[in-house]
Amino acid sequence: MGMAQYISARIVYAVVVSMIIVTASFLLLYFSPNPNIQAAAQQAALGGENPEEAVERVKEARGLNDPIHVQYMQFVENVYTLDWGWSETRSEPVTDAIVSSFKYTAQYSVPWTVLSVLIAPTLGIYSASRMYTWKDHLATGFAFFGYAIPNFFFAILLVLVFGVWFEIFPITYDTTVPILSLENAWQLVLPVFVLVTGSIGGTMRVARNESAEFMNADFMKTAKAKGVKPTRRYTHHVLRPTLVPLSTSLVSALFALFVGASVLVEEVFAIPGLGRLLVQSIISQDTSLVLGTTLVFTFVGVVGNLVEDLVFTMIDPRISYDDR
Amino acid sequence: MRPNDKDKNRYLNRRQWMAMVGIGGATGLAGCLGDGDDGEDGDDGENNENTGDNNDGESEDGNDGDDEQGVDTGDEDEGSSGENVDELPEPSGSYVTAQGTTFSTLNPLYNTEDGAGTAIARALDQGYYFAPDGSRKPHHYELNTDDGGKVWTFKLRENLQFSDPYGQVTAEDYVYQIQELHQSSWAATADSTSWPSEITVEQTGEFEFQAELPSAQLLWPESFDPLLYPVPKALLEPYVIEQDTQGLRQDEELLELQFTGNLGPFTLDTWERSGGTRYSRNENYYMHDHTEENELFEKSPYFESAEIQVIKEQSSRLGALEAGEIDAAGIPPERAEEFQSKDSVSVYVSPQPYNEVLSVNMRDNGWSAGPGNLFRYNKFRQAMAAAIDKTLITDGVLRGFGTPHYTWQPQWSKWYPSDREDEIPKFGTEIYGKEPAMSRAKEAFAESEYDYGFDGDTMVTPEGDQVTLSWISGAGVDTRNKIAEVCVQELEKNLGMSINLELINPTTYDQNYFQTPSDGEPTEAESIDASWDAGRFNAGPRSVTASEDWDMANVYGLNTYPRNPIPSTAFFDGPEAYFNAVGYYPDFNAKELYDKAESAGSRDELKSIMGDIFVNVAQEQPYIMLAFDDSISGYDPEIVGPTETFTTWPVSTYYRE
Repeated sequence: MGMAQYISARIVYAVVVSMIIVTASFLLLYFSPNPNIQAAAQQAALGGENPEEAVERVKEARGLNDPIHVQYMQFVENVYTLDWGWSETRSEPVTDAIVSSFKYTAQYSVPWTVLSVLIAPTLGIYSASRMYTWKDHLATGFAFFGYAIPNFFFAILLVLVFGVWFEIFPITYDTTVPILSLENAWQLVLPVFVLVTGSIGGTMRVARNESAEFMNADFMKTAKAKGVKPTRRYTHHVLRPTLVPLSTSLVSALFALFVGASVLVEEVFAIPGLGRLLVQSIISQDTSLVLGTTLVFTFVGVVGNLVEDLVFTMIDPRISYDDR
Repeated sequence: MRPNDKDKNRYLNRRQWMAMVGIGGATGLAGCLGDGDDGEDGDDGENNENTGDNNDGESEDGNDGDDEQGVDTGDEDEGSSGENVDELPEPSGSYVTAQGTTFSTLNPLYNTEDGAGTAIARALDQGYYFAPDGSRKPHHYELNTDDGGKVWTFKLRENLQFSDPYGQVTAEDYVYQIQELHQSSWAATADSTSWPSEITVEQTGEFEFQAELPSAQLLWPESFDPLLYPVPKALLEPYVIEQDTQGLRQDEELLELQFTGNLGPFTLDTWERSGGTRYSRNENYYMHDHTEENELFEKSPYFESAEIQVIKEQSSRLGALEAGEIDAAGIPPERAEEFQSKDSVSVYVSPQPYNEVLSVNMRDNGWSAGPGNLFRYNKFRQAMAAAIDKTLITDGVLRGFGTPHYTWQPQWSKWYPSDREDEIPKFGTEIYGKEPAMSRAKEAFAESEYDYGFDGDTMVTPEGDQVTLSWISGAGVDTRNKIAEVCVQELEKNLGMSINLELINPTTYDQNYFQTPSDGEPTEAESIDASWDAGRFNAGPRSVTASEDWDMANVYGLNTYPRNPIPSTAFFDGPEAYFNAVGYYPDFNAKELYDKAESAGSRDELKSIMGDIFVNVAQEQPYIMLAFDDSISGYDPEIVGPTETFTTWPVSTYYRE
């Protein structure tokens, strides 16, 4: 199988996965009580009308009396044409809610991801190259600290120290600040710092352990004997093979944090991002919004896996397309 | 049954139910969930739902207050004449507040949320407001009656302007809104329950219209029912013609408050759905011409801009307040003392109308300890009230920011029967301890057909086992949880019960434990003559129950209506009271007394009748009344305007020193 075929296959696979998820979402919604119907029935009862007639009217108006396959096709069409409905808890279209929230999530998740990808492997290899020295222990301690301390608690701590006591950083996120400005970068320092420390711990440990395998490998001894500089040895001969297993843990770690930790950090720093949107939609039982945000996270996951698969083939040419 | 009683019950909806109930409690949410802590308002039954976030002082959207105003005439000019200042401040800077919840909608026709009501009020006043002394003052219109409350005249100010192209605000806009929306069968607006079709509305001039009520209501304005937002007729007409509810709900001009012209102190610039709202000063605010109540209106508002930030995390919100990033926020009781010692924050402690009560389930699915249901006996409820030291709650849990609760009215209220103090038993303070609790419990045992008793200090069932009950408290509402823990310890100590405390999500509790099925049928014949058509909080006699069994709960705080006490009829006017999920059957003639109250011809007469009711309620303890917690707000010390009263001047009169 050539690379083009491989990439095509992975894309088809991603589409199939997304279809399965969309179908599962539809079935869950189909068999769940519809809040609009319940609201109509309640409103009718309160107004002295016949609730059953009101329910019928709503069902008819929303096409809920159509056969399941018709509803399914309509649902799929709506999903792929981005007609995701109206958010009752925000009084705006779901797509608008997601776009406006994504704008804020991207502002901290991009630097967070870049920094995590840069720092974690570097720190891991640095640690491995100085294994069991105080530098290794210091780096490991730093990684474990970030890994162990709950992001939520750490964020509050930083807000207290650097926001309230020393007044160095703003406590809450100001949405009026221009995105591309120093002021915006400054107010994102604490959230990004919290997320980076939370995400590099696990990845750094994987990088350290994986790269340790290669530190004393034959090809490293050869490189050393040939007089290759340490930096080049680490970046060309250790980092590259280390990145294969590392990319798997990096993608999953970042995604888990993207969904979980970012919610908490958004709450603490009052960033109106996607994580907060998802949580609020669930709490307030805003079905359309739950579906929309879930689909976004799902598609991010599917695309993340796709990118990961593609990256594999680039960072390690020995990986055969036929085996995958 | 009183005239229209059935209709009244039928029309009570979620909005009114929410006004009755403080799910988080005033300090509960402030302290623990962080909801709505914008330092603003509390209400007692007006058009905003209350989730218990009464932490504050401002009163721009129809807040609670005590009742200074005369009920005989409905005149609006009683009480203070407002503030006098030597020199009016110059508008400058920004006024930034924070709250814990987002807004579902800013459409004034459909909003039922307290926080969103505050956000709307920045840009759009309502008809009237209540000053710090409790007197009613006009915003958009004066409201008067000449016949004791049967016919009310709305007289509009003549300088009210919508944004282009809608022009002058006239009585026609209001009459159209009432008749075509609130009184329609399709629009289902938030105010539809306030304007049943029995109310006849008629335009009597370009700037005047009248509302004739089915029966006289002396305290109609205090019910907040006649409180309206002006909305242009031309904006509404297309939706009325099409009967397009969805279109009306989603109309951008309504959602973004684009029609507000000079009708509010600020103009809404942006509504960031998860982030909050931002406003700029309204240079043409109509109140500039109306300084008779308060000179400060002449140049109001005194900020060039305003902002309401949504900061859900309480520690961040309080941190922002302390660091001066925001100007106002609610403060939980456990942090109040700390903030009082800070120079960077001024703390205001105000009364609010929601109470802390223990609900005991008198229905058939209550009292899981054994046969019978001892909660049904007044003496047993009295025993429970006597077993709980209320000072442990007010001084301990609430850190001194609360007062003991004896009857269905706070003691600072004008309606509290202070002339009959000796008839109101002070359970939990003057009547407290093992002996008074156990002696009353024994009287209840004697009334019961089952052989309950005490084995030493332990309360035992007829089988000789210790009485073991469950207690549900709202998960995530720390103050309420702590109150529950204190009460459990007290009941175990003084009545020898064993109580299992369980935390349940308030929504789950509401749906599975509190609401009775609307189509429920009694499973046994009931001897009392009552109707059972009151909806999901009372679908029938005690044999009709919610889906889950429960014994005791303190998930909800309830409204005591200190401005207009008559709505407490919803809790107590008989077995079929609208809000009677606990299955309380009064042993006094509550219905007759409430009927008399509704037809009272004077304030004194009303107070006397309500006094009878409150004395009986204090003795019967339909809910075990525990405490009133204070509303605690923090402000930037430079902000001038907030007061420690039930209501304050509108935020448009606030300024920075």
